[in-house]
Formats: sequence, C-alpha cells, structure tokens
Amino acid sequence: MVATLTETSLDARPSYGPAAPGGKGARRRSDVRMHVLLIIASVVTIFPFYAMIVISLQPGEAIKFPDALFPSDISFSSYEQAVGSQNIPRWIANSTIYSVVSVVLVLLFASMAGYAFAKKRFFGRELLFWVFVAMLMIPYHLTIIPQYIIVGQLGGLNTMWGMIVPTIANAQAMFLMRQFIQDVPDELIDAARIDGAGEFRVYWSIVLPQTKPILATLGTFVFLWHWNDFLWPLVAQQSPANYVLTVGINSLQQQEVPLATVMAAAVITFVPALLVFIVLQRYFVRGVMMSGLK
Amino acid sequence: MVSTIAPADQPALAPPRRKQPMWRSPGAVAAYIFILPYVIFFVAFRILPALYGVALSFGDYSLSGTFELLGLDNYVRLFADPLFWNALRVTGIYALIAIPLTVAISLGMAQLCNRVLRGMSFYRSIFFLPVVTSPVLSGIIFIWLFSTDGPINTALSAIGLPTGSWLQSSVLVLPALALVSAWMNFGYNMLILLAGMLAIPQEYYEAAQLDGASPWRRFRSVTLPLLKPALFFVLVLETVKSFQAFDTIYVMTSGGPVRSSYTLTYMIYDQGFGYFDFGYASATGVVLLVITLVFSLIQRRLIGRNA
Repeated sequence: MVATLTETSLDARPSYGPAAPGGKGARRRSDVRMHVLLIIASVVTIFPFYAMIVISLQPGEAIKFPDALFPSDISFSSYEQAVGSQNIPRWIANSTIYSVVSVVLVLLFASMAGYAFAKKRFFGRELLFWVFVAMLMIPYHLTIIPQYIIVGQLGGLNTMWGMIVPTIANAQAMFLMRQFIQDVPDELIDAARIDGAGEFRVYWSIVLPQTKPILATLGTFVFLWHWNDFLWPLVAQQSPANYVLTVGINSLQQQEVPLATVMAAAVITFVPALLVFIVLQRYFVRGVMMSGLK
Repeated sequence: MVSTIAPADQPALAPPRRKQPMWRSPGAVAAYIFILPYVIFFVAFRILPALYGVALSFGDYSLSGTFELLGLDNYVRLFADPLFWNALRVTGIYALIAIPLTVAISLGMAQLCNRVLRGMSFYRSIFFLPVVTSPVLSGIIFIWLFSTDGPINTALSAIGLPTGSWLQSSVLVLPALALVSAWMNFGYNMLILLAGMLAIPQEYYEAAQLDGASPWRRFRSVTLPLLKPALFFVLVLETVKSFQAFDTIYVMTSGGPVRSSYTLTYMIYDQGFGYFDFGYASATGVVLLVITLVFSLIQRRLIGRNA
C-alpha cells in the first residue's frame, strides 16, 4: 500500500549498534523480536484507518462494534450516498483549488523574496528579516480574529480568494527558500548576468531550477497544510456550498448523516493526502529531517 | 519547520562601493521588486492582524464595524472570569499529559526504528501515515474508537483493565485527547529524533559495549545525552502544539463535557466566533501570546545551557 521511504539519509549507517553477542542465532532471534514489536506498533497505528475504511463499506444503517470490524458483505452505497446527495463534489473542488492555488502562490512569492534576501543587498534587509522572524512567535489564534475582520472589510468572506489570500505570505517557506538559495553559487548568477540575462531571467532560469528539490519539499508541506486546514476555512466560509472537505465532513458528522456516509467522506478526504504523501514521500521526509537538524 | 528561523548567518553588509546610495543601485531596486509581493501580503495578513489583535484586546469591536476603546476592561473582566481560569487550568493539564506522552512515544518509536531490518522503511512509512492525516479526520475516527462500547473499551476489558466513557468523562477527556494527539504527531517527532540518533558516532556505542554496558545503559548514557538538541527541538514543538490544540477538540468534544476540555484556544474561538465578542477573545489571545513567549524564553535558556 505504501511506497517505501527513501533510504538515502535514514539508513546511512550499515548496522545499528554493536552486533548482538552470541553470533548469528541470537541475532536472528532479536530480529524476530523486533519484527513482532514493529508489527504490533504498526497495527495500533493503522487500526483507526482500518476502522474508517471498514465502516465506510457497511451496507446497513446501524454500525455495531465488534461486528463492524469484520464485515461479511461489502457495499459501496455509502460512497454513492456521499457523492450523490451531499455537497461533496463541490467540497472536493474547493479543497483542491484552495490547496493548489496556495501552493503555487506560496512557492512563487517565497522563492522571489528568498532570492532577494539571500543574494541581494538592499537597505532594510536585516531589519525586515528580523521582523519576519519575530512574527513567528505570535500565536495563530490571536491573529485569526483580526484576519477575519480584515478579509471581511475587503469583501473576501465567503469567497475563494478571501480564503486563499491571507495564507500566502508563509514565513517558514520564505526562510527555507532563503537558506537554500544562499547555497546557489554566485558565479552561476554572475555568469548569466554577463551573458545579458535580466533580473527576472536570472531568478526564473538560473536560481529556480537550482532549487527544485526544496520546491518539491515545500510544495508537499504547503499542499498538506492547506488540504488539512480547518480553523480558517471554518470561519471564512458560511455557506455549505463553499466549504472545504475538512469543514464539510465535520458538518456531516454534526448532522444526522449515517456514520458510514461520514466515513466514506473521510476516506475521500484522506485519499488525495495519501497519494501526495506516497508520491512525494522522499521530499516530505527530507523536509522533516531538515527541520530537526537546523 | 519552525526551526528554519535561522540565526543571522548573513555576513555584515559590506561598505557600499558605488557612489550612489545603496538603496538606489539597480540591484537594490530589483530586490525591492522581488520582495514586494511577499511583503505586501505579510504586512496585510500577518503584521497588521497581530497589531490589530493586541489593539482589539483593549476595546470592543461590533460586527457593524465600530471600534470602542475600553482600556483594560477586557482584562479586568478576564481575570475575574471563572471560565478563563478554567481554560488556563485545562490548557495546563492537557499540556502536562500530552507533552510527556507524545515525547515518550516518539522517543521509544525512534529507538525501535533505529536499526537495519528487512522492511524497516515500510514500517516507518506506516508510522508516518497519521502525520499526513487531517486532525478533523482523526477526530471523527477517534470519536467512534472512544465510544462507550467501542474498540478501545473492548480491548481494555479484554485484558482486564477498567473501561471508561472517555469523551463523556470530565476526568478522561483530556487523556483521550492527548492520546489522539500522540497518535497524530509521533511519526513526525520520531523522524526528527531518528535523524539525531543517526548523527551519533557508532564508535561511542562500541566503546560502551566494550565497557560492558547493557542496552538500556547504552541508551541512557550514550543516546540520550547526545540526542539532547533533537529532543529539545521536539519538546519545543510539542509545547507549542499542545498550547494551540484546537481542531481535534472542536471536532471531538466542543470543549465539553461541561467545559472540561475548554482550552485557551477553544475559548478564543468560542468568545470570538460563538459570541462575536472580538475584544474579549483578543484579550484571551494576548494572554496566550504572553504564555507562549514566557515558555519559549525559558526553553531557549535551557537549550542554551544544555546544547
């Protein structure tokens, strides 16, 4: 089901710890013990997903434990129900637009600013940069009410652009871009400039291609942040047709919608995140490890 | 990602070589154009809201758009409000349960995963799945798992442990929420700790082994001390997360039962978007800001001393 993590950075070490004393037999026994522990941990980790999928495939109305976990017959009627009679297709579209447009804008603005902060000297650079750093200390929950008021005054509540716009000045993304672009050799940029490349050309054709891995890492993070985002879309959208998936399935859960339908919607919400994770896992894992080592 | 707040590793600005002032050089003009879109959005939707939030806490904003300055009224009201003290207590208890639980599980899992074994990458991928799952989904699934005759209680009674009505109990609701948070976050922390463990030189373990140190002793005397920077980073991350937990609480308990999971962040939401008392909610937000600042100062001190 899940593609494997890349081993490049995680398994740099040939073996963990000193070889178990007692030779091959002891080694094999300890391996078996490890597998048992790892399988138990995996089952515990996966069980909630299993429950979600199994319940979504129940034909009946009443879901009783423990019968529900060992289904005798499987039915996709909850999925038909979910896609047919609910707003779910609209929510899928809204979540997709919210996530994809945000990824593009965050990456574009963060890489442009990151490039300037990394490679250009200008008045106010240090000051601006430290203002950006300082803002990371402000809890999100303090700013969400003013953000709501400001977007409201701009006429952006209940609109897609109003939901996207406050999320695109992403400080973490900008710092990461700056850090990465600092490693792009100056000679490369100077050479392009001597060849007559303009400022935008240098950024677009020289700097950006050099940062592809970090763009992929950041893109994965930003996509998942937006796909799974809840509080801001919850307050920014009032009409059910404008909900994103997370807000939508929570509203289903609070109504009298059968649990199987809610779980079907949950599976529908989970699958895109899972696919993004499987395809871009390498970049995602690298991003997490980078965050710890800095 | 928080840690990408890099220290000022920029070289100090070199004295300008050109005759014209630096801010008028062609490079600087281009630089301003490059940062302009980012700066506009950052000022409008990060800096302005932060200042506005602090300002709101000293007044009252009605939905019709009028702001009335009230001075310290919101704070006076807040510090006399049992709801606030309850929220503070709930936030503290939740943090005291969630932080050690999540860090301990993350550390254990990192240790378990720090070895070469057939299929290890597959196991690690599985442990990472909850990280990419929306907290709303996790909440919805765990409501069912925690239900009175649900899987968790059945498993507990099968091994002879007492059961409980988790989300309906004012005592068990915070441990239940902390458990969900641990399930969601351990994969992320595990990876950070694993990266730290891989950076520990193999020779240290070999030396310890020659001295006859047991595996537990090696873990305590070699792994733990050398893992301190990564461990502190995870600790800071979990502290911030536990202070700001909201999504699962909103989905699973709505602050209940009887406000026993009514945290500070939930109070901000409830006062702000439930009662539209923006000034009062912002005062709560400022208190959260102060608490966050104090804790990060303390932790920064500790890191400075230990790392």
